[in-house]
Amino acid sequence: MSMDPDRPALEEADLVGMAQRGDMASFEALVARYRDKIYARAYSMMRNEEEALDLSQDAWVKGWQKLAQFQGDSSFITWMTRITINLCLDQLRKQKRLRAESLEAMEEDGGRGVEWRLPAANPNPTAGLEQAELRERIDRALAQLSVEHRTALVLHEFEDMEYKEIARRMKCSIGTVMSRLYYARRRMASLLAGLKRENSE
Amino acid sequence: MKHDLELKVQAWLDGELPEHEARRIGQWIARDAEASALAAELGCVRQALSRHEAPVTVGESREFYWSKIERQIQREAAVPGKDSLPWLARWRKYLEPAAGVVALTCVILMAVMQAGSRTFDEISSPGDGMEAVTFHDQSAQMTVVWLRTAQNQSVPKNVRFEDEHGTVVDLE
Repeated sequence: MSMDPDRPALEEADLVGMAQRGDMASFEALVARYRDKIYARAYSMMRNEEEALDLSQDAWVKGWQKLAQFQGDSSFITWMTRITINLCLDQLRKQKRLRAESLEAMEEDGGRGVEWRLPAANPNPTAGLEQAELRERIDRALAQLSVEHRTALVLHEFEDMEYKEIARRMKCSIGTVMSRLYYARRRMASLLAGLKRENSE
Repeated sequence: MKHDLELKVQAWLDGELPEHEARRIGQWIARDAEASALAAELGCVRQALSRHEAPVTVGESREFYWSKIERQIQREAAVPGKDSLPWLARWRKYLEPAAGVVALTCVILMAVMQAGSRTFDEISSPGDGMEAVTFHDQSAQMTVVWLRTAQNQSVPKNVRFEDEHGTVVDLE
């Protein structure tokens, strides 16, 4: 099926308005416009292409079903991204990949997570890296974080969410969000610096 | 450095501290080398992440990606009752007990009103310039009502009796 050639040229607000009145071709144009962004957010949380693809498509289905509730308080893509994040968090909880706070604290206190207790030794862990190289390294470093730490980082740095909103979505306390973010950033600094050293040797 | 201070440095960086505390922590970071190095490291990671999210694209064609969404939308629309008034289902668990309480309250209110109206029937309303005095004898199951005019309060004008069967007898 080919899309109506006029649709992609329309403004977002027009497409949303027509989709809200039941015009599926307009919704299809919105999907075509934002599918990569929605998929990217699902992938950043799930770190699995197949799951990210399924969840991003489920998010669009849910978006269509809830379209009447969209009042334009935020942009359409922000609203769709929030739906995607909620679906990913539900899926992570269902898979028990998002662990209880106590287990996470044990990990941070013990073995794997000692670097967060050391004084900051990498004030500029990304210095001298090209944009593309930096992107790739960040992606590799993110993959090495636990689901809880990565999720906190994604919601804060990529989605600009405040501590309070992250806590609400991750169903934990603000203190836990602060600890998760702190640990995640220190580990990222260490990983990025480590990757930089690896390359220079 | 204590962990709560480390978290304060981070909260300062993220703009999550109240104004007066942010000023205090900012001054301390400027003076303390360790705090300053920590703020620099955290800030660098934050900046790098917010500007360098790796671009990821859907590996499927636009048509194929959309076809699955379209099929799912049509399949879910064909299921009767699916997602219809979801708020009602969520509130049902609260609405059902509340409805029971309302129904019970209505029954009690009706009973009270009926009892009240019977009592009203048994007590005659005095007209202007009249005064009523009621006496109920529990052992005799009898109620006596004295009605007196304002002009002649000492002389009973009407006397009303109610016997044990609830029959009311007026005497003049």
